[in-house]
Amino acid sequence: MHRFLRLSILLVGMFFAVGSYATDTAPPITTEDDLGPQVEQPIEFPHNRHAGLHDPADDADPSKPAKGGMEINCMYCHTYARRSMVAGIPPLRKCIGCHQSIESVKETPRIKKLFEYWEAKKAIPWKKVHDLPDFVRFNHERHVQRFVFQQNRPVQEACGYCHGDIKTMTVARRQKPLTMGWCASCHQKDHLVSASSSETSHGPNDCFTCHK
Amino acid sequence: MIENGFDETTSHSAKPQSEGQAAGYNRRDFLKTLGWGGTAVALSGCGNTSIENGKETVVSYVEPTDYQIPSIGVYYNSTCAQCDAGCNIMGRVREGRVLKLEGNPNSPVNRGKLCGLGQAGVQAHYNPDRVRQPLLKGEAITWDKALGLIAEKLNGVKGEEVAFLTGTMSGHVRALLGNYMDALGSKNHFVYEAVSPAVERAANKKMYGVSMPRYRIDKAKVVLSFGADFLGAWISPVNFSQQYAQFRKGSRPEGRGVLVQIEPKMSLTGANADRWIAARPGTEGMLALALINALGTAGLSIPTDVTAVVKDYTPERVSLDTGVSFEQINRLAKLLKERSPSLILAGGAAEGYAHGTQNAMAIALLNHVLGNVGKTVEAAAGVPFPQIAPIPGSRSALTALGNGLASGKYKVVFTYGANPVYSAPAVSKFSENFSKAGFKVAFAQYLDETALAADLVLPLDSAMEEWATEVPEYMAAPEGNVGYAQLSVRQPLMGRLYPDTRGAGDILLALLKQRKADEYKGFEDFYAYLQSAIMKNKAALGGADCADDKFWNDTLGSAILPLKGVAGSISAKPAIAGFALPAPVTADASYPLRLIPSISHSMRDGRNANEPWLQESPDPMTTIVWDSWVEIHPKTAAQLGIREGDIVEVTSKSGSIKSQAYLFPGIHPDAVSVPMGYGHQAMGRYAKGVGANVFAMLDPVYDKETGELAYHETSVKISKTGERIIIVKEEGPARGSQVGRKKIAVKVSADKVDLSKEV
Repeated sequence: MHRFLRLSILLVGMFFAVGSYATDTAPPITTEDDLGPQVEQPIEFPHNRHAGLHDPADDADPSKPAKGGMEINCMYCHTYARRSMVAGIPPLRKCIGCHQSIESVKETPRIKKLFEYWEAKKAIPWKKVHDLPDFVRFNHERHVQRFVFQQNRPVQEACGYCHGDIKTMTVARRQKPLTMGWCASCHQKDHLVSASSSETSHGPNDCFTCHK
Repeated sequence: MIENGFDETTSHSAKPQSEGQAAGYNRRDFLKTLGWGGTAVALSGCGNTSIENGKETVVSYVEPTDYQIPSIGVYYNSTCAQCDAGCNIMGRVREGRVLKLEGNPNSPVNRGKLCGLGQAGVQAHYNPDRVRQPLLKGEAITWDKALGLIAEKLNGVKGEEVAFLTGTMSGHVRALLGNYMDALGSKNHFVYEAVSPAVERAANKKMYGVSMPRYRIDKAKVVLSFGADFLGAWISPVNFSQQYAQFRKGSRPEGRGVLVQIEPKMSLTGANADRWIAARPGTEGMLALALINALGTAGLSIPTDVTAVVKDYTPERVSLDTGVSFEQINRLAKLLKERSPSLILAGGAAEGYAHGTQNAMAIALLNHVLGNVGKTVEAAAGVPFPQIAPIPGSRSALTALGNGLASGKYKVVFTYGANPVYSAPAVSKFSENFSKAGFKVAFAQYLDETALAADLVLPLDSAMEEWATEVPEYMAAPEGNVGYAQLSVRQPLMGRLYPDTRGAGDILLALLKQRKADEYKGFEDFYAYLQSAIMKNKAALGGADCADDKFWNDTLGSAILPLKGVAGSISAKPAIAGFALPAPVTADASYPLRLIPSISHSMRDGRNANEPWLQESPDPMTTIVWDSWVEIHPKTAAQLGIREGDIVEVTSKSGSIKSQAYLFPGIHPDAVSVPMGYGHQAMGRYAKGVGANVFAMLDPVYDKETGELAYHETSVKISKTGERIIIVKEEGPARGSQVGRKKIAVKVSADKVDLSKEV
């Protein structure tokens, strides 16, 4: 008799567990945008200014503040992305490397704050925007090598598959669901092996690739 | 259907119900519950609960170094500090943290390999119970105050009133300590190891002329080991394990080697042997002499003085004393005669007796007779700088210190790398004597028993944080380089976890500055001292043609400095007048069993008991975890009515312990075995209260020649307490749910257990 009881308790437990899962977090398997929370950062870093497209109107009068961006390659600052599992937030020295010789914006509030951190030799406490659960290992290097270096895709396009159109944002905001179903939807597609080949392959489908 | 599925075990099995099933909850049911429960938890856990968008901070470098890439590990070489073998290691460091240790492939000691004990080194470093500040009677104080207090207490104290107790020491920390003792005018440096091959060194010195020869297991055709657990915990086990791998290869020119192990309690080496022989404890020396006798009979030419010595030890007589059959002795003699060179080893199980040195010498004589000396027993080279050569530890040093303490002659006592309050036998009253010292200073990484008994505790860096050098006592060498010696460097693999810890070298340097400010003022810290000491001898260390900075960078890069060793010479057969090997003692009726305190690979002398990986890794023979045990032969257990899991009390004349009984056929029926290293009363959350301390109950019997504590000379009796538990162990088939239910009610009556299956 107690076996029956135990079984029913288990089933009830499972029902609630599945229920809570379904109501809480059922992720859409889609590549559509799924906006994450707006995250407030210690400095409102303007991605649009650094990576945004050049506006030809700015050329007309260089004395006016520019409207467009400078089209800086993502990998110039996020230098670890092609070498390591993590893309890495650029070291503070990277920012200073340029900004110490850009006199025109030196007195703006954001840059003043930047130099305050630098002079105190303190890291800027950026908040995470693209976080994954601790049981997931996403590897930037593999993706950047495949899409940027083997397929010759534009860097902003390749990064944008997961990060969205960063060049239009100030501080980044999560644009895609970054759920397993969403990852798998792209891994199921045919991707060119390299720019010069018509051969295609899928992304890996082993559990162990990401969960280890 | 479902009901049926749950009832599978009981309805389809013809086996009688085991204890677990009788309680209505068997292993299958338990696993099923666990499985479903786990699924439920996993499902509800899928809700991205660990995502911390906008909450967690991601900190970047302010100024990165070129080779530092987040998530990519960099390897640095260093030296292991987990035991005295001195293996060279490399640590994987990522984002400024050491994550994993490996063996250094360029090391002749461990040749790229590392044992489980070494792997657990990171847990000695990240251990949450480390001492973080100087403590004066438990209260945190500053370093200035601590060092000032030492200066104050040493003021007006004569050199002979200061004692320094350490574990085995070598390298530049040893040199610095030597200088400090000179500055104090004290000669009282006591080097103590609770478990050390001290008897073996003494016997080797007499028989080979060197105390620590190089053993060539890889060149031997037969290895006959008298209780040397060289695959487990004996001297330099990683080196020996690799030699053993060669020894067992059939493709070797010598062919596959044969291993025979003679010991009363089966060790890992015994389990790997082709033949394991449980001679009566203490009769190993006699057996060795009987083998010489039998070799003579079999036609091997034996020098006449040796023949005279062994003539009374006929296989017939010795067979009665040892319990090893006459045929077995002759078979062994035949094996040794036919297959040369062989190698005869003597280890702790043959040496822990009042006649331990005699036993070891008799065993070494066998090597001489068989012509192995010079072939499989080689002279090892020593380091050319005597001030950094290892001072090997022994038990007799503690006896000497204890006597001094008892007389109250020490006003200031320092301890470093030794825990005698835990590992001294209770009858020696060490902790009582220790309290008689005027002022006790402990250099300690953890609050172990000795540090707790000290007045002032100075927090030490871990082996991943400190600078040091080390010279291994067992000097392995690359093939064909007999004169090789080396100095190993230990360097920080990462920054300090706690800002107020210091390396032993740094503390000694600070203390030296109190005495000889002028001489040492040039050295800001121990690193500066070490660098200058090594650079001063650059030419002798092989850097004659090398620029200074390149030489120093190369030294730190490899962390191994090969030296041109001082060649040792191994002596031809020594003059033997005769042996004093007593007949085996007839059992004392009130203490009928012999206690064998066994050396567990992980626990050793208990210094690593606070590393949970080691507590968690199953003992290779019994598979027991997180506890000590009493190993009993099933026949003996049957006579005493003891079943596995009974809590038994083991009583000697000097003390008693309680632990779980484990029935094991790999032990002499007249002996019981309890592992050392458990039963700490302090040393942090992972060590405290786990198991029982066998050191405390040892009888005060000493080896007649070296004064070492004779470990195996304790006689015990054993009695049931009436309590019983299910032993937590890895080996199967497990009965009952072992997880989370250790203690069971005493309701299984003795007559329900069928002992015949376990015998």
